[in-house]
This record gives sequence, structure tokens and C-alpha cells, in this order.
Amino acid sequence: MSKSSSKKKPSDASPPMEIPEPKFNWMNQSRQWGTRVSPGKAGLTLDSLNVGIYGEVPPRWTDQGRNPRGAIPVKGALPIGYSVTEKIGLWAPCAAELYEEAIQRRWAPATDVPWSSVQALPDDVETAICQICTEISQYANVDIEVITNWQHRMSYGYHEVKQFLATASLDAARRYEALRKRALINGGGLGLEPVDQVNRFLLESRGGWTETVAGIALVRGLFLATMCEYLFRHAYNDAERAIYSHVIQDVARLITYGVDHLRYSLARDEEKASTTTTMIAIGLALLARDLRDPVLREALAIVFGGGVAGARREGMSVFFDFIEDFRDRHIDLRRWLNLPADVKSMPRAFRPREQH
Amino acid sequence: MSNPANDEILPELHLSWMKRRGPWNTHAEPGKYGLTLADIQVGEYGETPEESSNLTGRSRGSTPRSTAMRIGGYTVRSKSDIWVENASFLYEEALQRQWSSATDVPWNTIEPLPDDVEQAQCQLATFLTEVEFVAGDVPARWISTTTPDYFEARQVLLAQVMDESRHMDVFRKRALANGGGLMKATGATAGFVGGIDLSRDFTEMSSRLHISGEGAVLTIFRMGELMAYNDAEKAIYRLCAQDEARHVAFGVMHLRYMSQNAPERREEIDTYLDEAERAMLTDAANPAGRLTQTSESLCILLGGGRDKFDEGFRKIVAIRRRQLQEYKKRVISAGFGERFENGRSRLNEMMAQAAA
Repeated sequence: MSKSSSKKKPSDASPPMEIPEPKFNWMNQSRQWGTRVSPGKAGLTLDSLNVGIYGEVPPRWTDQGRNPRGAIPVKGALPIGYSVTEKIGLWAPCAAELYEEAIQRRWAPATDVPWSSVQALPDDVETAICQICTEISQYANVDIEVITNWQHRMSYGYHEVKQFLATASLDAARRYEALRKRALINGGGLGLEPVDQVNRFLLESRGGWTETVAGIALVRGLFLATMCEYLFRHAYNDAERAIYSHVIQDVARLITYGVDHLRYSLARDEEKASTTTTMIAIGLALLARDLRDPVLREALAIVFGGGVAGARREGMSVFFDFIEDFRDRHIDLRRWLNLPADVKSMPRAFRPREQH
Repeated sequence: MSNPANDEILPELHLSWMKRRGPWNTHAEPGKYGLTLADIQVGEYGETPEESSNLTGRSRGSTPRSTAMRIGGYTVRSKSDIWVENASFLYEEALQRQWSSATDVPWNTIEPLPDDVEQAQCQLATFLTEVEFVAGDVPARWISTTTPDYFEARQVLLAQVMDESRHMDVFRKRALANGGGLMKATGATAGFVGGIDLSRDFTEMSSRLHISGEGAVLTIFRMGELMAYNDAEKAIYRLCAQDEARHVAFGVMHLRYMSQNAPERREEIDTYLDEAERAMLTDAANPAGRLTQTSESLCILLGGGRDKFDEGFRKIVAIRRRQLQEYKKRVISAGFGERFENGRSRLNEMMAQAAA
């Protein structure tokens, strides 16, 4: 093809249009050609693309643009301003897998919850359920605000994490929606807004994403997942069972990401272990303070006890079980992460059967 | 079975919170499409304030507590700044139409292609991997600062972040699935003035992202049949087009709401549209624009090979004209059609320049 002139004449059969001489100077430019990833049993997954240079995830991503990992970067592009630029600050080896799992397990509260199974309930139980829905909705709101506030600051080179977080924020949106729907379908309404120090703690965690993850996963996430397990067992209809089971599996992914990231990060930075331990201790102290507020505790006790009449004895006993279960799971995860933890070091709110 | 608790340690119940609740006796009814967000717009729960004074992040309709802390640093607190009348529809549709790039694309239909065509496909895929998540990063940033009083609009944006995440991964998958690889990045979404990332106002951002940017990409995806070489690529373009159509619809409907409810901002919005129009054919973020590496790769794909560049060029000119026509329709639909009659818009001139 001649490159002597910048324009060439089209053929006689063509409409009158000047066609520019192509440069093709972008051709034959690739850092690794000949890549052929085939779909496996689970389809063509994100993780399966990590072959050769495409799977090399550097400890620091200096590119301040949206250069896809493995592509030839463009020089001189103006920076966008990502601030989470180190792998240690966000990476979790399981992020790509969790991303695909989240997509496979997608659900829609509008159609995947058997709303017709919701029948009229005694007013005290309905009030308690609606209060719990109000609280969980607001937890979801905090998850949305926290995740989206960090996601756009994360470097493009760690796209698996950014992509997983896109699923996590949509999961939180669905939680927000599903619990609001439950509150408004059965003759109830929303309850009292929570006065929640943990919400504040998560939103105001500015030190780093790792520290935020410690709060989201090991404090709030685990507390919510455990609470939903108990609510599932004490659900009053199939709609509630469907909601709680979906929420449990969604939150389980967020916890898994959090634990995997903490394990990755703590293994590479001793200092992180002490800051994470401090963050968790603060989070637990605030959660303990939140639990002094009677609203959530009593609402749960009413649901667990089948009404106000059963709330103080049976309901509160189940509530104590829930708190102890949360505590024990929390300790197990911390030990798995080689972080110090034992029952005695937890705030007293997590030893509810002890005489104080 | 719960461990019985000693009666002495069981707290007395307060229960005063049970009388402090939002509007009661709400019975949302599921409709033909399940229990949608539109179905729970009942009574006071469906009322969105023109200005939001909610700084505690509480759910709209819940009962405020005077002791709640102001933890929501929301910058988007005016309804006209973000609202769309069809948010419920867009959100529910987004949930119903979530798809998986791992399993909903028939990857096994991809067969080896001539090297020039594969290179063109990989260059286009590299570009799309690069630019698609600008529409994830940027909405995420705005979500985190939007009051939950406008949660319906926020839910649509959360679904968009998820959609863009999938787009980023499906094009990376395409680049690595057929013996090719990623090629050269473009820096098309770098931090320049007038760029999507740097918008200081939500409507400014939306006009750049949804109306012009994604609108241009939507035109191309809709013509995917012309540049697809197998069923996998056809599926990718079709599925991405349906997602993009929702994002563009959000932008159009928001602009319409803004124009009707904040007419004092019409002149300002016209300025953003001037800016968008100036960039439509020259902007590197438009793959059919004048950036060599994307426009030439499109010409190869549309023509059927490097040796059929001229034929591809004629098609790309048709695409550019269609992009401009569709943009014009969207702007008219949004309520800003007078700019095409009063001489403010240069769109007719640009139609003539589409072949340049």
C-alpha cells in the first residue's frame, strides 16, 4: 500500500469520499501475543485469564491511568489520581473467583423472593421485624457508601479487586432494597433509625482500605451474617427465609474477601498486624456500645421469642446465643489470621451470660 | 436449642421504641414483575424531598432520632441534581438482565481469524477494557456522596458500576481468548479538563458520560453485527448494548428532569452539551472517532480485513453520522432540542465533517 500521499481517491464505484491513508502503526504491538485461554468447567472465568504476563500482578502499580494490565502503556497521559496503588493495600488472591461466584449467584428481590408467602403477623412481631429491616437497610447503606468511596481510588492494575467490589456494592444495594421491601409489604413500615457507632467507624475509617476491610469483614460483616443466620432460623415465612439466605451468601463473599485480603496483607507487613488489631478492638468496643442501645436487641428478642411475651426469657436467650456465636466465629477468624484473640479480651457485651 | 439464661442476667425490656416508628399499616402489593421498587412507593415512603436534610444516612421514611450523628457527608442533596423518574424501571431491568461473561457468551464459537482481523479485534478490545470502567469508577464516586433519600437513582448507578465491571472483563476475555493478546492503551480517559473523571457536578458528569460518551459507544455496540466474526462477539455486543442503553436512558431522563425542574440551569447544561459536541468526533474515547488505533481497527473489522480498509472506512463514516443523529435525538428527548434550531449546535456542520 502506497504511503506517499496522505489521501487517496476511492474507486469509481464508490461514493465521492476521500479516504485517509491508514497508518497501521498500532499493529504488531503487543507485550504478549499468541494467548489462547479456553473456557473451563465454569466457563471463561476472570481468574483463568491470568496467564503469562497477564497474570503478573506487580507489588506496586505506578500507572495513574486505566492502562489494562498487560497492555502497552501510553506515555504522557495525564494522571487520574488513584491513591491505593500497592498490592498489599487491597489484594486478595480469591477476588477473581469471588467475582465470578457473585455473578453466578445473582438474585433479584423483586422476583426471587416469594412475597406471597408473607401473611399478617401479630403487631409486636411485625414491629420488631420492621425495626430489624430498618437497621439492616442502614447497614447496607453504609456498605454502599464505604465501598464506592474506596473503589474509585484503587489502581487499575488490580482490576480483579475493583471488579469484585462492584459485585459487593450491588449486593449491598440489593440488601438495602430487599429489607425495605420486607418492611413495607405486611402492614408495617420502617422503624426507628439506628444510632450506630459502627456505621460511623466504617465511614470514617480513612487510614487505609486494609483497616476498613477489618471493620467491614470481621466486625460488621460477621455480625450481620451471624444475625441473619439466626433470623433465618426464626423466620416467619418463606419470603424472609429467602431474603436472609441470599443475604448470608452475599455477605459471606465480602467476609471471604476481607479475610483473604487481611491474610495476604498481614503476612507481608508486620506493622499491619498491630494496626489491624487496634482497628478491630475499636470496632468491637463500638459494637459493644451499640448493643447497649435496647432497640435492636429487643427487636431481635421479640422475633426470636415469638412476641413480646416470649422476648425476655426465650428470645433473649437466643439473642445471647447469637452474640456468643458471633464472638466465637470472630475469635476463630482472628486466630486463623494469627491475630491475638480470646474470649476474655473481648468487651463484656460479648460475654452476655457472665454476671457483671 | 438455646442455652437457658439465668433470669438475673436477663435485661428488663424497655420497648418504648415500639411506638416510635414511621408511617404504619403499609401494604405494598407485588405486581406483574414481582415486588418492584415502584411498588413500594406507597404513602410517605414514596415521597422524595426536593432538598434532603438527611445527614445521618437514615432510610427515607424511618423515624429520625435526635441523638443520631451526622455521618453522611453528602454533596448531592437536591433532587434535581440526580433524579430520574424511571429509576425503578431501570434498576429492576438491570437486575433482571444481569449476565455472566463466563457462561453467557458462547466462547467455543471463536475460531482462529486472519492475523490482521485478530489484531484489530484485540486493539478494540484493549481500548474497551481501558475505557469501560471509567463508567464504573466515576459513578461509584458520586454514589458515595449522594443522600440515601434519593436511593432509587443511586441503585441504578450501582447497577451501572456492576455492568461496567462486566464490560471491562468481557473485552479482556475476548482479547485473550483467540491467540491474540492485549495491545496498546490509548490514555483516552486521562485526567484532562472536560474529562468525565474531573466533573465537579453530577449533571455535568452525566452529560459527558451517559449522553455523549456512552451514547457513542452504544451506537457502535448496536452495530456489532457488522464487526462480529462469530457468535461470541455478537453476544458480547448485544449484551453490552442492552446495558449501555439503560445507562444512556438514565442520562436522558435525568437531563429531562433537570431541565423541567431546574430551568435556571439550562444555559449551564447547554454549555456542557457544547463541550460534548465539540469532542464527539475528535474525542479519543469514541472508538469511531479520529484516534488512529481505534478507528483503523474498526475499519479493518467493518471492512473485513486490512486490504478492505476503504470499505470499512465508508462504514465508519456511516457509524459516525449515526452517532450524531442518535445524540441529537437524545438531546431533543431530554428537552434541549432548541439548540439544534437556534444555531447553537454545530451538529449539522459535524455531519458534513464525519468523513474527515
